[in-house]
Amino acid sequence: MLGDYTATLTLIALTAIFAYSFYAVLMAGQLSLGQAGLASLAGFSATVVMPDSPVVGLSPLVVGIPVGMLVGACVAFLLGLPVMRLRGVFLAIATLGFAEMVRIVLINAEWTGGAQGTSVPKLVTPGIAWGCLLLVAYWFWRLGGSRFGRGLAAIREDELAARAMGVHISRYRMAAFVTSGAIAGMYGVLLAYFSRFITPDDFGFAAAVDGLVTAVVGGSLLFLGPLLGSGFLTSVPEIQRALGVEAGWIRPFLSGLLLLVVILFLPGGLSSLIPRWRTPRLDPSIPAPELPALPPPGTSVLSLKGLGKAYGGLHAVRSVDLELGSGEILGLIGPNGAGKTTLVNLISGLSVPTSGTGTVLGIPLGPEGQGHRFARAGVSRTFQHSKLFDRLTVLENALVGAHVVTRPTLLRRLLWLPSARRDEQRALAQAGAQLARVGLADRAGVNAGALSYGDRRRLEIARALAAHPTLLILDEPAAGMNHVEAQELSTLIRTLAEDGITVLLIEHNVRMVLETCTRIVVLNFGGVIAAGDPATIAKDPVVIEAYLGSDGPADSRV
Amino acid sequence: MQQVLNGIFAGSIYALFAIGFTLVFGVLDRLNLAHAAVFTTSAYVGIELVADLGLSIWLAIPAVLVMGAVLGLVIERVAFRPLKGRHDAHFAGLISSIAVGGMFLALLQARYGPDTRRFPADAFPSTDFELGGVRITLLQLVILGVSLGLMLGLAYLVNRTRLGRGMRAVAENPHAAAVLGVNVDRVTATTFAISSALGAVAGVLLAFYVNSAQMTMGFNIELKGLAVIIVGGMGSLKGAMIGGIALGLAEVFAVQYVGSSWRDVVAFGLLFGILLLRPQGLFGARQVREV
Repeated sequence: MLGDYTATLTLIALTAIFAYSFYAVLMAGQLSLGQAGLASLAGFSATVVMPDSPVVGLSPLVVGIPVGMLVGACVAFLLGLPVMRLRGVFLAIATLGFAEMVRIVLINAEWTGGAQGTSVPKLVTPGIAWGCLLLVAYWFWRLGGSRFGRGLAAIREDELAARAMGVHISRYRMAAFVTSGAIAGMYGVLLAYFSRFITPDDFGFAAAVDGLVTAVVGGSLLFLGPLLGSGFLTSVPEIQRALGVEAGWIRPFLSGLLLLVVILFLPGGLSSLIPRWRTPRLDPSIPAPELPALPPPGTSVLSLKGLGKAYGGLHAVRSVDLELGSGEILGLIGPNGAGKTTLVNLISGLSVPTSGTGTVLGIPLGPEGQGHRFARAGVSRTFQHSKLFDRLTVLENALVGAHVVTRPTLLRRLLWLPSARRDEQRALAQAGAQLARVGLADRAGVNAGALSYGDRRRLEIARALAAHPTLLILDEPAAGMNHVEAQELSTLIRTLAEDGITVLLIEHNVRMVLETCTRIVVLNFGGVIAAGDPATIAKDPVVIEAYLGSDGPADSRV
Repeated sequence: MQQVLNGIFAGSIYALFAIGFTLVFGVLDRLNLAHAAVFTTSAYVGIELVADLGLSIWLAIPAVLVMGAVLGLVIERVAFRPLKGRHDAHFAGLISSIAVGGMFLALLQARYGPDTRRFPADAFPSTDFELGGVRITLLQLVILGVSLGLMLGLAYLVNRTRLGRGMRAVAENPHAAAVLGVNVDRVTATTFAISSALGAVAGVLLAFYVNSAQMTMGFNIELKGLAVIIVGGMGSLKGAMIGGIALGLAEVFAVQYVGSSWRDVVAFGLLFGILLLRPQGLFGARQVREV
């Protein structure tokens, strides 16, 4: 009975492995279609370079699979160097172009047997295929709860916020791409030794589309996705055959229809049907970890000299000088368009100044793409328009925030070392403590996308606090809050400063800024127009005019 | 010279196909992978109209155009509209359009079988022109004329009409367009209809040109179309047109100087070079990310 289905079973495993090579990049939000080309190169180099007879007693498969994975990973790395800066469909089409070029080059090459392909022995049994599949699935299972896996998910949800939390975007994206290449390589070798034959046309556009479809149908939010997708898509034609549906066109039509139904009615793919029973949970018995002490009060945190940023002819920030010492709460106010957010983006390393110099926690402001360095040095921020990782839970959001104060755990998780579990527990405790600090502890298991507006603003702060920042930048945290909530926020900010955190507060709520801050800087038209303690600023006629207009209502002046 | 002309004729078909592709991307920011299925469908239907119903090619082209528009409406309604507002609309749109395209092809197979179809021998007049030692057939002129005519018509539509203004408004910002009273759903549906109509005409013209239709013809043109819209700049109509003709020319010369087996590398060689040197394409505008 089972004998009739060995080919189908093997095919399910192989298709799933190929789908994992798409999953590997989809989980970081990248769409790549080059895996067929990588599989092709790996398959040919492993099968053609290896002799058919056993090498020192080892089957060609035992040597071939690692060779294929190595080839896939190396080529993916080389391909990634130029294409990793592309996003979305551009990346998809560039990698598709690569795969097509590989196909045509291999067809025209001598050593591959050209379009005829090469014949190889059949070595892959269902056991071998499923063994390889389990290894790959194991990798992604352990990846899910690791710091690396969370970083990839954060990139998928919001790349900029992930960078601000200290995730090294280009390295993570490349790592995902190389992983994908290695798995595609494994698939190429397995497919060759399964179908007895390898031709360049096995790895064309249609193959790439099939792989992508399998991965998306399965879903990219859970490691079981590719397996489910493969099981579903591979068995549909088999079931139709068993039911006696024979006409040539009905099968592809029904497959297309099912695909459409899944994609329209199951947004997270088939794996969204499986409840997430192992989302990280808080264990209140574990205390928040001891983290290195913050610098003593008065240490220089931030120093800007003549800093400016121009977009073409528009000077968003011009010649700003600013000193900030540890333990201060500096308020940055100014009318809309005064350059506040631009200044903050410069300070947190998300954009590059066009003039002037500055250092933040000892790091000079410099080339773009270095945002993670500032995060690692102790700068953490919130965003004016909240940029949460919507499909992750509240707790997971805070865990990504703790990225820079935790250690990588993937390798140790693969080996089940207890130290990985301890590190994860410490990270959880750190994240949970910040949630408690802003009053969100009871919402830990909810998806961030489901939070109310005020809770989203609070989660932004908790996520930023989880990084144990020396300098915390709050970009309009009270926007949309009512008076009572703003009051609570003000109290929270003052307790943070008592803990030694330096706070840079950008806010439109002038009353709150005056009550909270130790010092205030007023920006207008990109330049500093006033600076001083709250009492001075409140009386400064220049500020009053900039803010309220010369004849404006006076009720915000305290 | 003969080669240059041949390149332009083939290239104008690529351009027509790619313009439909890039129109949807430019206005709606969606890649419609069922576009190639419309192309294939219209090739088969065109052959049936001419071969079995005895329609002249002059009537077959408008008939296919209308059919393409209808298919475009179906694609929009079935594969794209249900995804509106979804977080993963980008990925999901790719997959749902692949699914719908696959269903179209399955229906084609049901009607016409898996074999290659051809026109009857006397389907079009075999009139030739000699111009300075270069031979041009009437068919080639028709292909060029129809393609250029449709492309110019589209340019007029987008730049000069109320509908075109609506399309450009939706391309800029769908929410703002809706607030300003543009019926976004109708503009979206119309864009799909126009896009597919152009793809359909490209399909029937290619079927005339190579005198055959096959189930796999869509894959090939889809890859080329993707290359063309990247080279020309995503969403740029002018870029797709020039890119298509440039690809036609490049292929002809590749066959002549490198060998026919390398022809298909040309499109992707161009594509790769452009993506690395000028990711926004020859005529695309660079998009600025905002914080």
